[in-house]
Amino acid sequence: MLTKTQKIELSDFHEQRQEVLGGWPTGREVDLDHAIEYQKALPDAKRFSLAMKTAEQQGSLLLQPRAGVALVPEHIALLKFLEKHCDLLPTTIDAYTRQNQYQEAEKGIAKSSGSGQSFLNGFPAVNHGLAACREVVESVSKPLQVRHGTPDARLLAEITLAAGFTAYEGGGISYNIPYTKKVPLEKSIRDWQYVDRLIGVYEEAGVTINREPFGPLSGTLVPPFISHTVGIIEGLLALEQGVRSITLGYGQLGNLIQDVAAIRSLKELANEYFQKHGYTDYELSTVLHQWMGGFPEKETKAYSVITWGGAAAVFSGATKVIIKTPHEAMGIPTKEANAQGLESTRQIANMLKDQYLPESEELKTEIELIKQEVRTVMDKVLELGAGDLTAGAVRAFEAGVIDIPFSASIYNKGKLLSVRDNHGAIRIFEKGSVPMADSVYAFHADKLSERAAIEGREPCFQMVVDDIYAISKGCLVGRPR
Amino acid sequence: MEFRLEGNHKIMKEDTVILGVIGSDCHAVGNKILERVFAEAGFHVVNLGIMVSQQEFIDAAIETNAKAILISSLYGQGELDCDGMRSKCIEMGLDDILLYVGGNLVIGKTDFKIVEQKFLNMGYDRVFKPEDDLQQAVQLLKKDITQKKVNALQAGQDERRTKAS
Ligand code: B12
Repeated sequence: MLTKTQKIELSDFHEQRQEVLGGWPTGREVDLDHAIEYQKALPDAKRFSLAMKTAEQQGSLLLQPRAGVALVPEHIALLKFLEKHCDLLPTTIDAYTRQNQYQEAEKGIAKSSGSGQSFLNGFPAVNHGLAACREVVESVSKPLQVRHGTPDARLLAEITLAAGFTAYEGGGISYNIPYTKKVPLEKSIRDWQYVDRLIGVYEEAGVTINREPFGPLSGTLVPPFISHTVGIIEGLLALEQGVRSITLGYGQLGNLIQDVAAIRSLKELANEYFQKHGYTDYELSTVLHQWMGGFPEKETKAYSVITWGGAAAVFSGATKVIIKTPHEAMGIPTKEANAQGLESTRQIANMLKDQYLPESEELKTEIELIKQEVRTVMDKVLELGAGDLTAGAVRAFEAGVIDIPFSASIYNKGKLLSVRDNHGAIRIFEKGSVPMADSVYAFHADKLSERAAIEGREPCFQMVVDDIYAISKGCLVGRPR
Repeated sequence: MEFRLEGNHKIMKEDTVILGVIGSDCHAVGNKILERVFAEAGFHVVNLGIMVSQQEFIDAAIETNAKAILISSLYGQGELDCDGMRSKCIEMGLDDILLYVGGNLVIGKTDFKIVEQKFLNMGYDRVFKPEDDLQQAVQLLKKDITQKKVNALQAGQDERRTKAS
């Protein structure tokens, strides 16, 4: 049976809820009425959606790091250290919790206890439970978001939202295809409809929780129109369940014009599709992730990548920027390295905020290109679903109509190949089964022949590989050596 | 990095190696590149992809009579996922299999000497950091496999000699 794109009935939701809360003993600590009261009592300064809305209205840029460790006191110390440098706080969840492997997470907690280090790559919120998560919320003074990569994030949502987290990252597509091997897309979309419905329940009770589909996907040469299409679909699915505050994301690619065009087109397209589907009462904002692919090992070089991402965020008018750190290529950053990423981003953001990028033909062309590409794919998705978005999304992945490069999932075709053009913008080298207008495909081909001529080689898989390594080796375009 | 075909391509053709990313790790990019590099160097690569358990690595190695298991771990929980692999191999009768491991093996930026020692102590034959030259890894693997074959041959001869005398 295909999941239907419609609001989950409250009775069905509560029935499913009992099963969800039984997933791990800490689930039983959650009481929805108390949770809503707790959320309502939070000060405005901790309300994520309010911070996003205000920044969007004022045209300012908010900075947010990623951060999470295995144990509660250490996690609190980490966040308290970072909140001096950022505007919004994260809690990054460990990879066992992301796969609902709470037993494994328990072992990671045990091994970390008293060892002076974290053996988990994030904070195992489900294992720690409601009271510990509230301790985290109560120890900081800025809005907190759950950042993860969980295909079935229902229990995690129940616990963290009840604990006073006011934003939740992810989506049924973006937290499946790049993050797992064999979770059926239909299942992850259905499980995320539950999360969105839960947030809809909070919304109906007067508590706005911000929702952020994960924009960068595999972080590896993803063309803007692919991630935009996924973001818009997840945005629509969230609105359907009663979510109101939505932040759509994009991972910086490195060519400034393309990056600026990406954020601008994302906002315009989202408004277009949301309104076309009958939604008017929503708060839309955008987030740019600093470069999500491989980083240079040397910290001095990493700083350049970080600040260039800061520049792209400012010039594109993104509401928020997710920062990287000088430790990116090597390992999870120390709190100091994390703060250094924030500080260097703050410096460039402050220096650029009074400047602007002049309008140009090139910029206009890129914006129009992305819009046309997204519309072509979205038309096909809706056609495949015969008007039903979920069915359309599932069939689109089956048919390779949406295809995310370098994904891990067996439910992704992996036929689309992208590569940089001579100026570093990402273009399509092989479209696989992704629908594209002939003129658009020809535009990509032209751009690539320009690079091919200069390098004296045809576009080929080796060129893709060279581009994957390029930034980590000191360049944007992976020239032959 | 380059993808040159190696000269002794044919000699190695038969040797099977198992490749995969261990644990709950989803990092797929390096895995796709490693598959290409080792295949182009003449190995028969059985790529199990991401999120592979110790048992799956071992089952595949037994099934294909593999000479080596090449394990990646990028996401930081490698220390938890990789421990016990050697004893499990021995338990399953893979006494002589080569175990290579590489990636961002521990949580946080750590002196590679410490990381290397940690994984050598766990019973891995060689440990690689992300920036290591892959062609060098290929050469080391060829050398190690050849050495194992020589050792096996010698052991065989010794055995025959003992029987004869
Ligand atoms: C792209 C990326 C992602 C993408 C992955 C998409 C996908 N499906 O592949 C996304 C955004 C989804 C992602 C998610 C996460 N990521 Co990530 N990611 C990266 C990043 C930026 C690049 C990785 C990459 O593709 N590199 C390019 C390839 C070609 O290189 P490679 O992967 O290193 O592989 C090469 C070498 O390592 C070597 N090698 C690897 N294995 C072996 C084995 C042998 C035998 C040999 C010889 C060589 C070898 O050869 C490979 C080919 O050249 C790295 C940081 C970086 N390197 O800059 C972080 C990084 C690996 N991620 C990290 C983490 C922690 C995560 C998350 C847990 C989220 C989090 N807490 O921050 C989740 C993972 C969840 C999960 N279940 O696994 C950490 C790991 C930290 C640590 N070890 O201390 C890193 C280092 C970033 C950081 N500094 O925090 N990530």
